[in-house]
Amino acid sequence: MGDYIVEMRHITKRFPGIIANDDVSIGIRKGEVYALLGENGAGKSTLMSILFGTYEPDAGEILVRGQEVHFHSSTDAAACGIGMVHQHFKLVEPFTIAENIVLGVEPEEKRLGVLPWMNMKKANRQISELSKEYGLEVNPTDRIGDVPVSVRQRVEILKMLYRGAEIMIFDEPTAVLTPQEIDFLLQIIDNLRRNGKTILLITHKIAEIKRIADRCAILRQGKLIDIRDVADASTQELADLMVGRQVRFTQEKTAPNFGEPVLEVQHLTVKNEHKFDVVKDVSFTIRSGEIFAIAGVSGNGQGEIADAIAGLAKIADGNVILNGKEINDLNVRERCLSGISYIPEDRQETGTIPDMTLQENLSLREYFREPFSRKGILKQDPFRDYAEKLIGKYDIRCAQGPDTILRSMSGGNQQKAIVGREIEEKSRLIIFVQPTRGLDIGAIENVHRQILEERERGAAILLISLELDEIMNLADTIGVLYRGEILKIDSADRMTTQEVGRYMMGVKEA
Amino acid sequence: MNKVFTDGLSFALPLLIIAVGALYSEKSGVTNLAAEGFQGVGAFFGALAATLLGPVIGNGNQAIIYIAILCAALGGALFSLIHGLLCIRFRANQVISGVVINILAVALTAFFTSAANSAISGNASNKFVLDVSTRFTIPLLSSIPWIGGIFTDMYPFEIMIAVLVVFLWYLLNRTRFGMRLRACGENPQAVDAAGANVNRIRWIAVMISGALCGIGGICFAYSMIGNFSPSIYQGFGYLAIAAMIFGNWKIGPTTLACLIFGLAKSGGLQLCIAAKLPSNYMDLFLMLPYILTLLLLVFFSKKNHPPKAAGEPFDKSKR
Repeated sequence: MGDYIVEMRHITKRFPGIIANDDVSIGIRKGEVYALLGENGAGKSTLMSILFGTYEPDAGEILVRGQEVHFHSSTDAAACGIGMVHQHFKLVEPFTIAENIVLGVEPEEKRLGVLPWMNMKKANRQISELSKEYGLEVNPTDRIGDVPVSVRQRVEILKMLYRGAEIMIFDEPTAVLTPQEIDFLLQIIDNLRRNGKTILLITHKIAEIKRIADRCAILRQGKLIDIRDVADASTQELADLMVGRQVRFTQEKTAPNFGEPVLEVQHLTVKNEHKFDVVKDVSFTIRSGEIFAIAGVSGNGQGEIADAIAGLAKIADGNVILNGKEINDLNVRERCLSGISYIPEDRQETGTIPDMTLQENLSLREYFREPFSRKGILKQDPFRDYAEKLIGKYDIRCAQGPDTILRSMSGGNQQKAIVGREIEEKSRLIIFVQPTRGLDIGAIENVHRQILEERERGAAILLISLELDEIMNLADTIGVLYRGEILKIDSADRMTTQEVGRYMMGVKEA
Repeated sequence: MNKVFTDGLSFALPLLIIAVGALYSEKSGVTNLAAEGFQGVGAFFGALAATLLGPVIGNGNQAIIYIAILCAALGGALFSLIHGLLCIRFRANQVISGVVINILAVALTAFFTSAANSAISGNASNKFVLDVSTRFTIPLLSSIPWIGGIFTDMYPFEIMIAVLVVFLWYLLNRTRFGMRLRACGENPQAVDAAGANVNRIRWIAVMISGALCGIGGICFAYSMIGNFSPSIYQGFGYLAIAAMIFGNWKIGPTTLACLIFGLAKSGGLQLCIAAKLPSNYMDLFLMLPYILTLLLLVFFSKKNHPPKAAGEPFDKSKR
């Protein structure tokens, strides 16, 4: 077993209330892509944080290149050639790309022999070369605040390379990327492997593991379940191991039973802050019991359509008609009360108030009316009762019950809380924007089941997603959006994935 | 006209060094409302040193001023440890810490001034009498029309502060230490991940802040006021903070802001004298810099970019 570059033996780590890692042992060979697969909260990130020196294990030992090591901080790990790209990037926005990369290992020289200064020109040059060498094109003098997320991620990778890291940990690197950017990242990872780097990939997306990883350790509730060669394991097998039960990738859908139109959008146009038409003359109708999905590449106006219907964005032109009544001039609350539920794309910005408690967040649609509030005074008991009811009904996992601060919960459970809150309103129209973004398989299955249940109840559902599989699985009708215009609307069973993909790229009727 | 420049600069430069002091602290992520207290306590230590040393090396010896400035810097840095302790070590609310320190400064210096005076001379006065610094005029430059006043009747400390500020700009913007300090105020997590010690950098920044504010305070005591007494607490520290905000937390624009405040103050005064208004109007004119502050902040502070992490204690485990 001497060929391991990193070995973690019998690692146990406890946090108040939970065992994050329970006697986990893994060994990673030099030059392989080793994936850690598990649902949110399975202990993958904790295990890697231990390897990166952020946490110290309660028990167990770590060997790097055959030597036992004790990391007290990430600096110790970095000295051993270990680098990590965190899920939340650690970048300084007003600094340039190069400044961010050299931070901590600045190229300091002495001017006139005494005056220290930083040779940024030299650093810029080095970073340019490094980025070309690994196919990670960046402009070293751009400011971080001005570049998109995918470039920021490249900067994080360059940071590790600049420090000469040989072992690289990626924590859910694709969660923030679009499908095209994911392809590019996987190429980069492959590149790094060919350059002899060892990659540890934390993920809950099996498709990525199948594409890039050599071996894969599956964790569930802090325990190591299995270690598999990826080539010999099927997607279904991996999914079952990860979740601990049989996973259904496609949901059983009942035959459609459409009723009268619930939402009619007529010639909708929405402008952005630069007076640019981000949504152009969009028209569609959703009937009760129908799932209408809008497919499209990110940034083609999807979010703006949803915001315009929910009242968060101004309608520049056109009409939005709900249950036969025009709602253009209603404010957000009036629209909610007339029967719209909205699960927005951004959980923490639009969907919740992350620093308030779960019970307060669950009551956001209700707090202003009886029994939650009487004559302007909030009543405590209804909040708690309502929260407890929703926590049970939607299986929201929270450490301190209704009093849990929302931010401290996992992304999947935050999403459960939002979906639960919105579905509980029994609205006629439910808008789901990217409802499964960042969720693991079990949670995705759960959200999909709920969407279909609402469809059966007779709600009209607008589903906006970047995941084509999700759309093909759920939708009754598909509209494809390209640069703010709907290029094609058709029944889902008359369209293939390839066709939808072509329209997403802007190809009009052949 | 010459007088406007001469007085304007002798006010603007001490103000500037206080503003840069506050800026160092805030750039590292520690909100600093304590500049007012720092400059007062710094001035106290400087004035105490001058009072004690005066009889030893001879009153009127200008060397005392430089010793006083040094002691003011040390005293300011020492006093700023309280702010560091509260904000960095105990993670207290930084705004409240600043306000409390300002109140504390007034009380402590008043008490110790009279205590020191009664010990030295038996007279419990709340004042340390200081000599006024000598002034000098640079030949040739001072005869340039219009702006000659800049080089007329200068205090030596003006030159010192100008040189110091250039050095401080270099330190903040061109060195490793400065870059880490600025990063601490924007995203301390990034600094921590890069292997540097956020809290240590913040401690150093706060102490630099205290030292610089102390220098500003003693310079006021040696020029405008001519003694050390509670009248040192006239809100110069707050004005310096306003200049820093108006200067968008950058040393260059902050210098400009201080110059504007200085010239507004001396200009208002000269206007009042030129118009031969009764002296009770003087106070009205002395308000000018503050009214200017108010207006400028209303119109120009919207697009400002304060350090993102200023006011937030560093929490290693937060993501």
